[in-house]
Amino acid sequence: MRVPLSWLRDFVDVDLPAEELAELLTMGGIEVEAIERPTGGARGVRVAEVLSMAPVEGSRKLHRAEVSDGEETLEVVAGAANFGPGDRVAWAKPGSVLPGGFEIGRRTMMGVTSNGMLASARELGVGEDHTGIWRLEPDAPVGADVVDWLDLDDAVLVLEVTPDRGYGLSLHGLARDVAALTGAALRLPEPVAPSGDPGVPVTIADPERCPRFDARRIEGVTVGPSPAWLQRRLAAAGMRPVSNVVDATNAALLETGNPIHAYDLALLSGPEIVVRLAEDGETLTTLDGIERRLDADDLLICDGDGPVALAGVMGGEATEINDATTEVLLEVANFSARTVLRSARRHGLHTEGSKRWERQVPPETARLAATRCAELITATAGGQVTGGADHYPRPPERPRIRLRTARARSRLGLDLDAAAQQGLLERLGCAVRPDGEDLEVTPPDYRPDLVGEVDLQEELVRLHGYERVPSRVPSTGQVGARTPEHEARRAVRRALAGGGWTEIMPFPFTALEDLDALGLAADDRRREAVALVNPLSKEETVLRTSMVPSLLRVLRHNVNRQHHDLALFEVGRVYLPPTGDEPAADGGPDGVALPAEPPVLGLAACGAFVPARHDRPARAGDVFDLLGAIDVVRDAVGRPPLEATPTSEAPFHPGRAARLALDGVDLGAVGELHPRVAEAFEVPPRTLVGELRLADLLAGGVRPRRAVVPSPRPPIRFDVAVVVDEATPAGEVAEAVLAGAGPTAVACDLFDVYRGASVGQGRKSLAYRLRLEDAEAVLGEDDEAAAIDRVAEAVAERVGGVLRR
Amino acid sequence: MSAEEIDRIRDEALAALRAAATLEELDEARTRRLGKRSALAELQRTLGGLEPDARRELGAAINAVRGELAEAEAARRRELEEERDRVVLAAEAVDVTLPPRRPATGHLHPVAETMEAMLDVLTGLGYAVVEGPEVETDWHNFDALNTPPDHPARSLNDTIYVHRLDGVEAVADDGSTGVLLRTQTSPMQIRAMLASEPPLYVAVPGRVYRSDTPDATHLPMFHQIEGLAVDTDLSFADLKGSLEVAARALLGDDVALRFRPHFFPFTEPSCELDAWYGGRWIELLGAGMVHPNVLAAGGYDPEEVQGFAWGMGVDRMAMLRHDIADLRLFVENDLRFLSSL
Repeated sequence: MRVPLSWLRDFVDVDLPAEELAELLTMGGIEVEAIERPTGGARGVRVAEVLSMAPVEGSRKLHRAEVSDGEETLEVVAGAANFGPGDRVAWAKPGSVLPGGFEIGRRTMMGVTSNGMLASARELGVGEDHTGIWRLEPDAPVGADVVDWLDLDDAVLVLEVTPDRGYGLSLHGLARDVAALTGAALRLPEPVAPSGDPGVPVTIADPERCPRFDARRIEGVTVGPSPAWLQRRLAAAGMRPVSNVVDATNAALLETGNPIHAYDLALLSGPEIVVRLAEDGETLTTLDGIERRLDADDLLICDGDGPVALAGVMGGEATEINDATTEVLLEVANFSARTVLRSARRHGLHTEGSKRWERQVPPETARLAATRCAELITATAGGQVTGGADHYPRPPERPRIRLRTARARSRLGLDLDAAAQQGLLERLGCAVRPDGEDLEVTPPDYRPDLVGEVDLQEELVRLHGYERVPSRVPSTGQVGARTPEHEARRAVRRALAGGGWTEIMPFPFTALEDLDALGLAADDRRREAVALVNPLSKEETVLRTSMVPSLLRVLRHNVNRQHHDLALFEVGRVYLPPTGDEPAADGGPDGVALPAEPPVLGLAACGAFVPARHDRPARAGDVFDLLGAIDVVRDAVGRPPLEATPTSEAPFHPGRAARLALDGVDLGAVGELHPRVAEAFEVPPRTLVGELRLADLLAGGVRPRRAVVPSPRPPIRFDVAVVVDEATPAGEVAEAVLAGAGPTAVACDLFDVYRGASVGQGRKSLAYRLRLEDAEAVLGEDDEAAAIDRVAEAVAERVGGVLRR
Repeated sequence: MSAEEIDRIRDEALAALRAAATLEELDEARTRRLGKRSALAELQRTLGGLEPDARRELGAAINAVRGELAEAEAARRRELEEERDRVVLAAEAVDVTLPPRRPATGHLHPVAETMEAMLDVLTGLGYAVVEGPEVETDWHNFDALNTPPDHPARSLNDTIYVHRLDGVEAVADDGSTGVLLRTQTSPMQIRAMLASEPPLYVAVPGRVYRSDTPDATHLPMFHQIEGLAVDTDLSFADLKGSLEVAARALLGDDVALRFRPHFFPFTEPSCELDAWYGGRWIELLGAGMVHPNVLAAGGYDPEEVQGFAWGMGVDRMAMLRHDIADLRLFVENDLRFLSSL
């Protein structure tokens, strides 16, 4: 809503500067987004009369006009010829300034000196019309300063009106609020009841959807441009001036908030006007020239031939006001918010009218709107009101709201007694009847939004002033904390960042084609993705069931920007059909099925994991960096090392991927991307990815660690080298070595892997450094020898290995 | 043996020790002058054949010389060692202006970290942090939050709907399906109330979604922290005090704040909190007293309890913290950006 301040001041005696008024409204609940002065800055423009006019010799376009502002008579060259002797025009004299600071001087064109220029409406910032010189009305005062006469320095407040405050979309409503907030005097006009024959009788077939219809007939009008002041105000309010009759409906709309439609009465066909729902197959060509197929839920205004307007949204083209109109029928009706909202949405037509209906227009406004509109038409287009009828079959009961003043005090934290509360509500125009400590409140007609006790509480604190509510901090009576799972997740994120991985935040959407590209099996659960009804792009049509595609997208984005060494992670969610282990949240009273949203850790890396330096070459990342990251993660939450087993599943390299489990529960897999998958996603070869379910790792939070008490006695250290078959997993060998070394073994580190003739074809040698500690006894050479014997025995038995001695 | 003889031995030895140019020469000089075969040692061996008085006298003289020589040797040794260190360490010098060798470290996402910083403030105020689903029912996201059936926020222009999981094709004329990506963290107000009895003080961080095309100030995915406090006597004054404390903790004690009336279907009275930041008012959050209909939807009796709720934008706070003008940087995931923070 755009509010020219001069217009608002017609209705309330407030002389605050625009900035202060804006602050007042904003803090009163109607936010002023901006203060504009669209026509501000003009100086030295005068109303002048054209005395004579002639073409400029040798030019096909230019005319020379002799104009006078009563002080001097000079010649001005104009590019347009839409005016003639006797017309009044806006003369920007030499030395004058147009809005926006454009200075006007003397110019010579085709040998003729132009003393300034004659302005178009657009050049004065009033409307869009630039097709010709702006012809002012015939009684425009010659010699008047246009800046004063049209109030060009007027400020316009640009309001953001919330859905509950429909009255904020009318100047009357705003004036009432300004009055309530400041105590300034209101100056609102009085409605006049219609009388006489409306020309066409009106029948409301659906009083639920159309509670009121005030019709007024005006005869003898002459359609033409509105007076300049009205055009200026409408343009400032953001509405395009059209003609005096149409402009009057718009002006009355802006003032009262009640949308109005004007018909050319001569084009309406009898015998009556009916307000009814559309029938199957009916169509209406609206004012914008579009033929619309109507829905059975559309409310219509119909004449004898059928629909002439889509109620509350837009009028029909066939009966619109035109240059030849002499007889006008005004429709000042009331329509239900829901009806108009649905029609407006259905037809994609959001108009100044529908915007207001959607926020409820009280039926009581109709008569005043009709009165004001008729007054403006007769004032600007001539003619007179010759008839009318106000149909209001079932005026609703005014709501009476019980306000418990003690409860208002308690909820607002404001020490306002019953009398003070009554006083505030009366400032709004409420009728208030005290009843003990309670108040029985009847809100004013213009506030249909006030229906319950909390609505009144909000009005109390708003009028009293939010800034006057004291500040208090309650004791919550509890220790605030994150959940243990949240703490554990934070520990995981921090540990990964500390270990060289950078956290990313992609959109959790993907395309089904991405799941194909991963090479997932046809029955893979990850193919059961939740599809978006209104996706934002073709690449993001479903909720992700795997993090891998979004990780690879981010990887590719960075590689394309010449960032080749990447180690990325995300801790987020995937969205899958629920299972017993991964249940969904409760679906509410309707039992709606929701997906499970398990927390997942995603990892992706490519290029060097250790970057090159002047003193060291780069080291490319490999699957052991992924396994290392996983080990950092489990360590961060105090869990034991995960069990890794080889896997050849998609989307991995069949020989370079591992599944991981915690206490036998599978958590996910990490590995090098299969070369074909890397190609499909256009990421570098040997890109690494991993995806780990976090729920089991996070459950119970970060586990407290058990301290290791160091032995006071010196440890012994020795190495063993185990020769096993090439295919024997190192993990099993290490287990065998540790088991053989016995309970005093505190460390067993693999320090060498050797293949060669000395160990035999198809065999490998794994060398471990062992450390034995015993808190009770000093270990010696005998203990070492015994341990080595036990290790030899254990590796022979468990993995068929032989110690190299 | 004359005193001159001893003096001569001493002087020669002192000169030799002092003349040693290297530690090796010093070792040699020491062996020669103080060792078993030194003139001094030979002299000592003659002591046995002397009379007691003469023996005592000569013995004392020898010991004095021996002490003097040992001291001279140690002094020269210190000098030579210092000299050696000076040369060796100078040769070992490195250029410390070469780049440092950092352990590889990554970076945490600024939005996630801002969220955690905000949660630190709220946990400090005594709020328990809880989380909820991102795919929601329209009952939790709208109905239970007192949002009318035809509210524009429910339209496809604002809300991303998803197809139903049960396979039933149930897309209404207006595109709604009953299942959606939550447009706010507020549905967790309902879930939190249904899950536990009052009093309730919870903070709900999370991702929310809107059907917005990404631009500098809008993303289809962003982050909020919802707060909900319900107790027997909480008032608008408690709302103001709590949010002022939180805002000051985040933006500094001197920050100017204002509560401005606003509208939300699920609170009344409602407000927005603005902070004066960078020369203008910035909207930090929307808040209000929980609407009785919302308390009732959460299974609470609005006549028995009352409270306040708020929802604050995390991404916007992250923009302020890091002086960022374009939200899209957060989701573009460019490492040059992420590793700068």
